[in-house]
Amino acid sequence: MADLASAKSAKSKTESGAEDLRDPAYLKIRDMIYQISGIYQSEEKLYLLASRCARRMSAVHAKTPAEYLEHLTVRGNREAELRLLLNEITIGETYMFRSPPQLEALRSVILPQILKAKSAMGFKRLHLWSAGCSTGEEPYTLAMFLLEESEKMLAGWTFDILATDLNDNSLAAAKAGIYGEYALRSTSEALRRKYFKPHDEKRLQAGEQLKSLIRFERVNLNDDSKMTFLKGMDIIFCCNVLIYFDLGSKRKVMQHFYSNLLPGGYMFMGHAESLYQVDDRFHLVHFPGAIGYWKPPVGYTGGGKP
Amino acid sequence: MKAQRLEEIRPRIQALEAMPAVPAIVLPLTAMLHSPDQVDVEKVIDLVSYDGTIAAHCLRMANSPLFGRRNTETVRSAVFALGLKRIEAILLGCCLNRIVPPDKWALDAVTFWRHSLGCALVSRKMAKLIGYPDPEKAYLAGLLHDLGILVNIIACSEDYPRCIQAAREAHVALHRGEEEHLGFTHCQSGKILAEQWHFSSDVIEVIEFHHDVAAVPTCGPLVSLVHLSDLLCRLRDLGYGYYEAMGMDLAGDAAWATLVGHYPALATMDLARFTMDIDGAMEEIVAVVDAVFKP
Ligand SMILES: C[S@@+](CC[C@H](N)C(=O)[O-])C[C@H]1O[C@@H](n2cnc3c(N)ncnc32)[C@H](O)[C@@H]1O
Ligand SMILES: [Fe+2]
Ligand SMILES: [Fe+2]
Repeated sequence: MADLASAKSAKSKTESGAEDLRDPAYLKIRDMIYQISGIYQSEEKLYLLASRCARRMSAVHAKTPAEYLEHLTVRGNREAELRLLLNEITIGETYMFRSPPQLEALRSVILPQILKAKSAMGFKRLHLWSAGCSTGEEPYTLAMFLLEESEKMLAGWTFDILATDLNDNSLAAAKAGIYGEYALRSTSEALRRKYFKPHDEKRLQAGEQLKSLIRFERVNLNDDSKMTFLKGMDIIFCCNVLIYFDLGSKRKVMQHFYSNLLPGGYMFMGHAESLYQVDDRFHLVHFPGAIGYWKPPVGYTGGGKP
Repeated sequence: MKAQRLEEIRPRIQALEAMPAVPAIVLPLTAMLHSPDQVDVEKVIDLVSYDGTIAAHCLRMANSPLFGRRNTETVRSAVFALGLKRIEAILLGCCLNRIVPPDKWALDAVTFWRHSLGCALVSRKMAKLIGYPDPEKAYLAGLLHDLGILVNIIACSEDYPRCIQAAREAHVALHRGEEEHLGFTHCQSGKILAEQWHFSSDVIEVIEFHHDVAAVPTCGPLVSLVHLSDLLCRLRDLGYGYYEAMGMDLAGDAAWATLVGHYPALATMDLARFTMDIDGAMEEIVAVVDAVFKP
């Protein structure tokens, strides 16, 4: 979703026509999307929405936005259509090892701290969650990272990664785990050889070892009933997902994350995102090149540095 | 045993004052800084002009984006553009730079000055954000907080590379390496020199306690400010030139608690907002510091 204005949009803009943007049907569609997903498109961004709708409109042969709105509201298959539209809207830009400083913080500070606290209570299992995983690069990166540590600091530990997204197409691609040079551009030759197998001339596929660690699931972060039950997380990554949420829906998601985390757990967001005005129960912990959001353990009164 | 070791090097620190380049400029300068009378601007201009390197440094600072990128070409206009407090901070920085002979820099000189300048700038920024009344003082304190590192580089030149090496390998703060291999830290040795040079008591307090805010009997805001700035710089690539495995929890830091004690309004401050402002400033500061140190 990093760039909704992809190559297609130039074409669709002319297709949908400038006067179309003022069509009240777009505002209704915009509001529906917001209600369901938390993604908010401001007035200036409506042309992006229009360009995304254009594809679905021609697929269902709707001639006007108003007619397409009918498909989303009163027709029998409206739920399915809405989901298809969401698949168009939530296309995510991502690649493996997108944020090395986060991994470094994990390795040098966060994992040692969490492992210590958990083993003191007799636990030997870690739960990570990649929320908004798009086509899977982030969870596969985490899987590689954990496996690389499994002979060092994670010796004797088991771990799993929950990877969720709203977009069915992205999830399907994530499950297949087939990647080209673009997604792998920051992945070393050694890691490629160790964890991937050749798929075709240009692409590699994630091996079983990686896949067995990850559970892919469709979860809408804006869906309270689902979010309430994803408990017991040690570390949550929700990077570059909430950038298109408005403050209200962002706040709600963060409240869920806070209760989904175990005490002492961490949350990470994308590089340019901030929890500003979102949830002040999280402590902001600065690491070299990254900021983590920390849920302090029960009874924490400051002093002891994380 | 530790105290003994520090006593051992005390004479060496005291001997630093006898080094020709240092007291000639530093002492009149610090005297000026605390002078109750009107500071003689002409004298300052003379001092600056007297020394080619210092003059060049002032011009570069005056022309940097940091101070509004003026097109200053003369020392006189640089002095007026920067203001006396800043000139003095710059001069002090330059003078201190000189106390280490070029072949003795156990820690890369540029790394050290990037850290010091970075810390000065972050301290000033933070001072403004929280409403500390004298941001230029915060700048000076930030610039000088690690004075003791220079002292150690000179007075313990044989052992110092080992301190750095140990800290680098363990990914810990430099003063941990000093504790291990010297038995004392730059906080203690810096204090000795700072007292000798008659720095003001709050700057001395910063030099002595910036790594252990909780130990200050009546902790002033300045120490806390510099302590936090120091951490932030080390987290943002303006540290001692190696990776330190650490995190910094602003809300849980004793220094923050102290600041809140002094400025109750901070208690309700949006920390995420504050962090964002500081982080935004950090990016700029890293760029500025790099610009200053580009040859
Ligand atoms: C830019 S991608 C981020 C990929 C990865 N986390 C990263 O940082 O590289 C954003 C993803 O967020 C997903 N997303 C947006 N809104 C969502 C929602 N309400 N629930 C679940 N996922 C959502 C999109 O489908 C998209 O795949
Ligand atoms: Fe220090
Ligand atoms: Fe420092």
